[in-house]
Amino acid sequence: MEEILKIEHLVKDFGNNKVLKDIDFSVNKGDVISIIGSSGSGKSTLLRCINMLEDATGGSILYHGKDILKGEVNEDAYRTRVGMVFQSFNLFNNYTVLDNCILGQTHALKRNKTEAKAKAMQYLTKVGMDQYINAKPRQLSGGQKQRVAIARALSMDPEVLLFDEPTSALDPEMVGEVLDVMSNLARTGMTMLVVTHEMAFARDISSRVMFMSDGKIEEEGSPKEIFYNPKSERTKEFLSRFTNG
Amino acid sequence: MTLAEMNFFQRMLYILERYSGSLLRGAATTMAIAIICTALGCVIGFAVGLVQTIEPKKKDGLFKRGLLKVVKAILTAYVEVFRGTPMMLQAAFIYYGASSLFNINLGMWTAAIIIVSINTGAYMAETVRGGILSVDPGQKEGARAIGLSQSQSMMLVILPQALRNVMPQIGNNLIINIKDTCVLSIIGTVELFFTFRSISGALYTYFEAATITMIIYFILTFACSRILRWVESKMDGPSNFDLATTDMLAFTSGLTKYDEKKGGTH
Repeated sequence: MEEILKIEHLVKDFGNNKVLKDIDFSVNKGDVISIIGSSGSGKSTLLRCINMLEDATGGSILYHGKDILKGEVNEDAYRTRVGMVFQSFNLFNNYTVLDNCILGQTHALKRNKTEAKAKAMQYLTKVGMDQYINAKPRQLSGGQKQRVAIARALSMDPEVLLFDEPTSALDPEMVGEVLDVMSNLARTGMTMLVVTHEMAFARDISSRVMFMSDGKIEEEGSPKEIFYNPKSERTKEFLSRFTNG
Repeated sequence: MTLAEMNFFQRMLYILERYSGSLLRGAATTMAIAIICTALGCVIGFAVGLVQTIEPKKKDGLFKRGLLKVVKAILTAYVEVFRGTPMMLQAAFIYYGASSLFNINLGMWTAAIIIVSINTGAYMAETVRGGILSVDPGQKEGARAIGLSQSQSMMLVILPQALRNVMPQIGNNLIINIKDTCVLSIIGTVELFFTFRSISGALYTYFEAATITMIIYFILTFACSRILRWVESKMDGPSNFDLATTDMLAFTSGLTKYDEKKGGTH
């Protein structure tokens, strides 16, 4: 299986606060990895380090064998290959839905406008937002914004998509539409790394689940192993809060 | 009838008849200097404000960090000095300084434009810095995350939003500049205030000339403030914040029919 990302001994400190302590794992093509765990366990920081939005303090992140932390890959080019979807959507407020999906293609990938537009339309249709191409982000509901954000990330044809709690800022009734889009993506073979509090999604859609606790990967395995036969006490405790609550 | 025998309105009419040409030329000069200098001031302000918001990266070498620090210090000094001293003195300082120190005789227009522009730039720099900082940091992260470079993110995403944020302040500066060009009369720029002084000096009709000149100043500033307000509303697009929907069943309060062609809700 083709290995896209390999994270080795990744460490991240914020001052004296050690947020990530020696993280090791790899992402293979087609993997759908859910990262679960309590707030403050370092899940989002891990994702932000992988996308270089945070500078890791130590360790290495290998992208096809090249260490991005040592600058062996151009930062901007790397980010076009490893997309990110945020909790707070971060759509560009000054552009329409369509232009949000075109901007990165024409400026970072140097695609021509026609090709970029066709690509954007293809993915906006896929997430069911093709009717809203001329709307500005502020006219959309949270769920619609997140679907556009996913289409924007997909338009770059990335190898891996990182999702940072994509449904946490949404009203309960809108969570479903975003999860549907993500499930469809997972089925089409998109490589995904999803930080989530949606246990049903982690259990049913992902190929692997990582439980993070206190800056470390406490337990890793198939959804079956993690959800029905967790080995670590911490994992058991964390999951019991979801099944009993 | 001599000027002394006329009443207030007759004197005003007399001034308008004799000096309307000079007054219009003065007003035009004032407007030209104000518009050109506000525009140039904005360019300076955006450049300075942009540099002031650059955060050094961890990877940057000692030289790059040092250079950035020195440039920032110089720009801060520029902002503080030009905000902290009267423009009238700056005008005298630069105009007479250029001729006595460097033997450069700045023309009236050159001197006027240089002085008002760098003065406006000093004010705009702080405004722009604030405008950039007030754009949600998520906008930049969104831009960087799809592979746009630092400068692309700035030019395509952050600055356009910062520009909208500082539009009211740009309008403010234009209006201040229309009025403040009057201090240029110290270096002999023939603008509206200079015209007022010439008329009142020639006819000894201070009150009437002042009334007419004030009215002209007010018309200029009021028109500009309305035009800028209109530009702002154009930048904002439709003013309603209703969510767009094409689903007629969900067509309840807070949702309006989404118009595909207009791209908004109406």
